[in-house]
Amino acid sequence: MKNTYEKVKLSYNQVLLLIIVLRLILGLTYMPVVHVSKGNQDTWIILLLSIIYKIIFNFPLIYLSNKFNNFNLLEFADKIMGKFLGTIITMFYTIIFLLANILFVTIFVEVLDVALFPLTPTWFNTVLAFITCAYISYKGLNGLCRFGETVVPIIIGGTFFLVLLGVNNFDFSELLPILSDSSFKDLNLGAMNTSFRFADILILVMITPKLTNKKDLNKIFINSTIYSILMVTILIVATQITLGVEYTKHANFPFLIYTRTISIGEIYGFDSLYIGIWIMGNIMKISAYLYFSTIALEKLTRKNNQVFIIPVSIILIILTIFIKDREPILPIAGRLNAIIQILSIIAIIIVPSIMLIVYYFRRKRLRNT
Amino acid sequence: MKRKILTTILATIIFLTGCWDARELNELGISLVIGFDIEDDKVLITAEIINPVYSSEEAKGDQIQSVEYVQGIGNTILEASRDITLKFDRRLFISHNKVVIFGEEFAKRGLVKNIDQLLREREHRETAKVLIAKGAKAYEVMGISSGVEQIPANYIAEIVNNIKYNPKTGDVNFIQFLKHYYHEGRHPVAGVVEKKSKDEINKVGNDGSDKDYELTTLGMAVFKGDKLVGYLNGNDTKSVNFILNKIRGGIITFPTPSENQEAENLRDFSSTVIIENKTKRDVEIIDNKVILKAKINLKTSMGEIIGDVDVSNTENIKKMEEACSKAIEEGITLAVKRVQEEFKVDIFGFGVEFHKKYPDKWKEIRDDWDQIFSEAEFQINVNTKIIRTGLINTPLFKIKVK
Repeated sequence: MKNTYEKVKLSYNQVLLLIIVLRLILGLTYMPVVHVSKGNQDTWIILLLSIIYKIIFNFPLIYLSNKFNNFNLLEFADKIMGKFLGTIITMFYTIIFLLANILFVTIFVEVLDVALFPLTPTWFNTVLAFITCAYISYKGLNGLCRFGETVVPIIIGGTFFLVLLGVNNFDFSELLPILSDSSFKDLNLGAMNTSFRFADILILVMITPKLTNKKDLNKIFINSTIYSILMVTILIVATQITLGVEYTKHANFPFLIYTRTISIGEIYGFDSLYIGIWIMGNIMKISAYLYFSTIALEKLTRKNNQVFIIPVSIILIILTIFIKDREPILPIAGRLNAIIQILSIIAIIIVPSIMLIVYYFRRKRLRNT
Repeated sequence: MKRKILTTILATIIFLTGCWDARELNELGISLVIGFDIEDDKVLITAEIINPVYSSEEAKGDQIQSVEYVQGIGNTILEASRDITLKFDRRLFISHNKVVIFGEEFAKRGLVKNIDQLLREREHRETAKVLIAKGAKAYEVMGISSGVEQIPANYIAEIVNNIKYNPKTGDVNFIQFLKHYYHEGRHPVAGVVEKKSKDEINKVGNDGSDKDYELTTLGMAVFKGDKLVGYLNGNDTKSVNFILNKIRGGIITFPTPSENQEAENLRDFSSTVIIENKTKRDVEIIDNKVILKAKINLKTSMGEIIGDVDVSNTENIKKMEEACSKAIEEGITLAVKRVQEEFKVDIFGFGVEFHKKYPDKWKEIRDDWDQIFSEAEFQINVNTKIIRTGLINTPLFKIKVK
């Protein structure tokens, strides 16, 4: 069994597109930002403001990844924290990747159940998703990024095509008055909350050692943050000015409803185009998280990651069916948001900050090694 | 080879997922219009379903109706729609509904509260038009087709779409209704449909069928929150559409400003055809009083002149423009006054404008807005431009100077 991770080299474009699509899918699926803070007509300002917070909160991870650009997150955790604590951190991130995977698959299956296949059993949709994602993960990071190079432009192009088709329904006055119903505190709390939602920095710092030019890391981080948040902002603005600010909050899948309102004369059904591009994006996202879950397991067990793809997929299928067939995921937004927020804060801020502090005190010794 | 076979099988599986959800056309009852009523304190659904036999070759010549009507009753919309399955051999499929009609009593009980199922279920289209059966049950206005369209649902949908020719009707879909319902400082409106007795000449159809009635979508339904509180007549509806900036076409008729005083006494009228309209709503606070304002810029084409006026003269065109503007101003002022006095609810969205312009002040008065609106002064400014005069210049009866 050949190791698909060791000899991979990825270009700037490949990684940029991968990170962008991982974030864009969040906006395409359930637009969590419309529920944060006051969730009013100033949501777009919250999103733009979140760029700054994202850069601030991700600083520890990006800084460490720059310092240890020949190592991924789990490897430099070992270097900084030592073998024992490094293993615990690896275990923690393995759980994070697995939980993220369960979350994405349950949301994916929930949309399929509601919008496409209400009578198809959950297990079937879950199994189908995992067969595809397991195959892509099995092909490794190179395969995933090459798949992304083809698929992501279609996803981005298709999304903006849908935005353009809905222009006739736009009412920009929905976004008025600006900055009068939200306080400075509301906007900043909302922006902080939003910045935690994009946990894909973890994928980026796992990819860093595989970059052809490691100096591209900062460029990828900044550009992917700006591009993806701008794209999500456009999606949210288009949805809010079409459906209205309040109805957008009522919708479980706002952009899906947005696409259902599009018509050209007597031609309807543009939601099927949305579903097509949305499935492609989700397959990429689930595949990426599945792949990195197995890379984390490889680090823990010193076995080739491919060994874990099928067993991990089976466990995730069982857990997803178990969760999904018990209760709805997205409508119970409060609990979902709380889980995402707590895990994100620990994984993106607390653990990396501890590593950064330890690095600061041990930097001389680490430099010598 | 093995890999190719495996790939083919996997690719096929993707398309097989639809099997569970497959719906065969011959198992569906495709509905084009659906009506909701309250009967015995329960929800009564009436659906107009296309009869597929009607369009088949064998059916031609037979007295087969183009549509069938089915009804179901229940405590909720869902229960009522499932009740239909006990009487009708096909499953109701409502994705093709272009129009949803609500009986007057249903609308009076509150629309938004009671239509949850329609927006929770993916089959219903959010872009379907909302119509209120004026003074009637929804099922009483269904089944009437006095147009060329064989299918009554298409007949209703087409007369609603005719707003582009005549803005005396309301064209509101579910999304627009909900948007206005959720807005602070605005109450929603909806289209109406009314059954009217026909003139004698049109009563008997070529096929001998009952053609006593026709439908009209003249007017607009006014809501307070989500509850129906009354109706506007055609002229008031046109005025509301002007303020809501929903005018896309139609005509303005006004007294012709004749050069000959004697002719003016005859009350000759002229009409202009609307080419383009832009309305800007505004609110101002002057001396602690709220002033509602509307500024309308209209581009029109001369459609008809009855009267002694020569429109090949720029001065006369200006007079016509002024007369047109005056007629619109009078109509709109009357409509606003009527809404202020009769309904006391802001259906024009002036409250939304107030919120945008005075956000801090809005927080203090938001709960009393309807009262403030109903007592506020209204000012209107209409600027009409006649940019075309048609194929002739002076009226036909007027002999040009030899």
